[in-house]
Amino acid sequence: MYQKTVTIIAPHGFHTRPAALLVKEAKAFDCDIMVQCHGKQASAKSLFKLQTLGLYQGVSVTVFASGENAQAAVDKIATLLITLS
Amino acid sequence: MSINGVLVSAGIAFGKALTITTQLPSLDFKLLSVEQIGQQQQQLTHAIKQLIAHLQHCQHHLCPDGDNFQLIDSDIMLLEDEELRQQLQQHIHQFRVCAAVAVDRIFKQHAAEMSALDDPYLANRGGDIICLAQRLTSALHGHLQWDLSTLTEDTILLAHDLTPAEFAILPLTHITGLILESGGLTSHTAILARAAGIPALFNYQFSQINDIIEDGTQLILDGISGKLHIAPSAEIFTQLEQKQQQELQRRQALMIYKDKPSKTRDGHSVTLLANVGNLNEISHVTDVGAQGIGLLRTEFLLMNAKALPDEQQQYKLYCDALHSLQGEVLSIRTFDIGADKEIPCLSQSKEDNPALGIRGIRYSLAHPETFITQVKATLRAAKHGQMRLMFPMVSQVEELDAAFILIERAKAQLIEQEKDFGTLSYGIVVETPAAVLNLTSMLPRLDFVSIGTNDLTQYTLAADRTNPHLAKQYPALSPAVIHLIALTISQCKHANVSVSLCGELGSDPQVLPLLVGLGLDELSINPANLLDVKVALITGYYAKFVRHAQHVALLTRISDIRNAINAFSLDCD
Repeated sequence: MYQKTVTIIAPHGFHTRPAALLVKEAKAFDCDIMVQCHGKQASAKSLFKLQTLGLYQGVSVTVFASGENAQAAVDKIATLLITLS
Repeated sequence: MSINGVLVSAGIAFGKALTITTQLPSLDFKLLSVEQIGQQQQQLTHAIKQLIAHLQHCQHHLCPDGDNFQLIDSDIMLLEDEELRQQLQQHIHQFRVCAAVAVDRIFKQHAAEMSALDDPYLANRGGDIICLAQRLTSALHGHLQWDLSTLTEDTILLAHDLTPAEFAILPLTHITGLILESGGLTSHTAILARAAGIPALFNYQFSQINDIIEDGTQLILDGISGKLHIAPSAEIFTQLEQKQQQELQRRQALMIYKDKPSKTRDGHSVTLLANVGNLNEISHVTDVGAQGIGLLRTEFLLMNAKALPDEQQQYKLYCDALHSLQGEVLSIRTFDIGADKEIPCLSQSKEDNPALGIRGIRYSLAHPETFITQVKATLRAAKHGQMRLMFPMVSQVEELDAAFILIERAKAQLIEQEKDFGTLSYGIVVETPAAVLNLTSMLPRLDFVSIGTNDLTQYTLAADRTNPHLAKQYPALSPAVIHLIALTISQCKHANVSVSLCGELGSDPQVLPLLVGLGLDELSINPANLLDVKVALITGYYAKFVRHAQHVALLTRISDIRNAINAFSLDCD
């Protein structure tokens, strides 16, 4: 398993639009990608689940994946989490 | 009839009323047979598919880079979500209920989880989920959209709610205004209505008007003075038509100044902020190019309230305001209440002389719980943007001491409750002569000062500002008041504390040269006057303003001051 922890800097957090973009990118990978924060976790491929995680500014988020291309997937999603707003 | 909703978009709209109801059959909770379970699951899959196809169809009319397109995209993504579909299907199977019940429960639960999030912006998105649930339920019953394509005349639309997707397909050539029962200042549909320049009124209680408005009733939604006219007389109609024309022309002419830097021709910059007295005005602040809010009169929160808004409600509201300011500063004035303003939700005792009684900071110090609640909400909101907090009616340093003790108590409570908070700038509204004379002792504790000229005038001249017999002989532009303003400015500059002015005087374009010439680098103005004042600033020369102010400061008669100001503005024309 490969994992990475980042902090959200987008002022309004991960609201619907950036979250939707993230899901699109996650779906391009075959492996399972999970996002964890506040002790809850959700699949990066489910907008429905991501919405209730509370990905707001200042929150620390861990992304992890295993399987094919896990490292590339985690790197991609972690980068999106700190760049999209 | 005046308006109790939230004006999210200004202007005057003329049109015939059209109410669109999404009346869905009430939910049927009966237990399903095994055979019916399968049917309901299939029906749900079919409805989701249909709704997705419908939304994609809506997208054809839109530009892929636009907000609308992307918002519809996320609706589609939710409908395609495997986790959501599984939960819905499983709910039907497990509880043996029909698809509509499953949709209702799962979406409501999801919206509730979102609304519970600690970030108000994310929490507000819960409303978007409920909208989507209603669309899906409609689709389950075979209704995908209202047919508005046959509209031929100007129409003001009344609806319970509109999703961004529904807004996107409105025939805007015929929809002149929008009245919704739900929604708020930052809902997606509000943002879209504002961007489209359609006068819109949200959060409006339909029960107020249900009986009097039928489809086809002539309506005028006057977003300038905040009135909804139902079946107006021909006279009012013509009057408002003229008002709309004039307003359009005037605004058009002023708009070219909106994004110009607010500095004089010789390069002296002055920050122009807006005074805001109710929620409706917040959305106009950025429309007129204000660089933030210099005065938010928070009393409006109490005026029609049955109970004092709690910390969470205030926090959300301040965050909403910050959000619509897009990074600009928000200055909150703590509740300026006293026996002179009757507030139903507060216990107030009668006073013989309320203007000299327990008002402003005096009321706050006498009711520390109310004050601490407001401070806590403000501190928490400060995490999301630039915020200032100012206290009205402070006239001596003891009041400041007491206020700061309460602020420390508020912070301690927040720490104990593990709530995050940000940093605030602290200031006072200078509105009594004593405040001016006591500034030396107070300035070391302050980050800024704002001059409240309305009360400063009434207390300096001992003239009730509501008494029509006194207004003329005891104006703000009198030697004593100008002297106090000048004294405040020089003391603040000496102590390196920033100084602003938030009274009505600042909203008069003719007076701007005097105020800027006296040394004010910031003014807070009524949004409706902001561009007029800005024109006075950017068409003038700072060097001339200074000479003008030096001249006026020496005048000893009210009439001479008035004449000097008139002469200066004529000279500029």
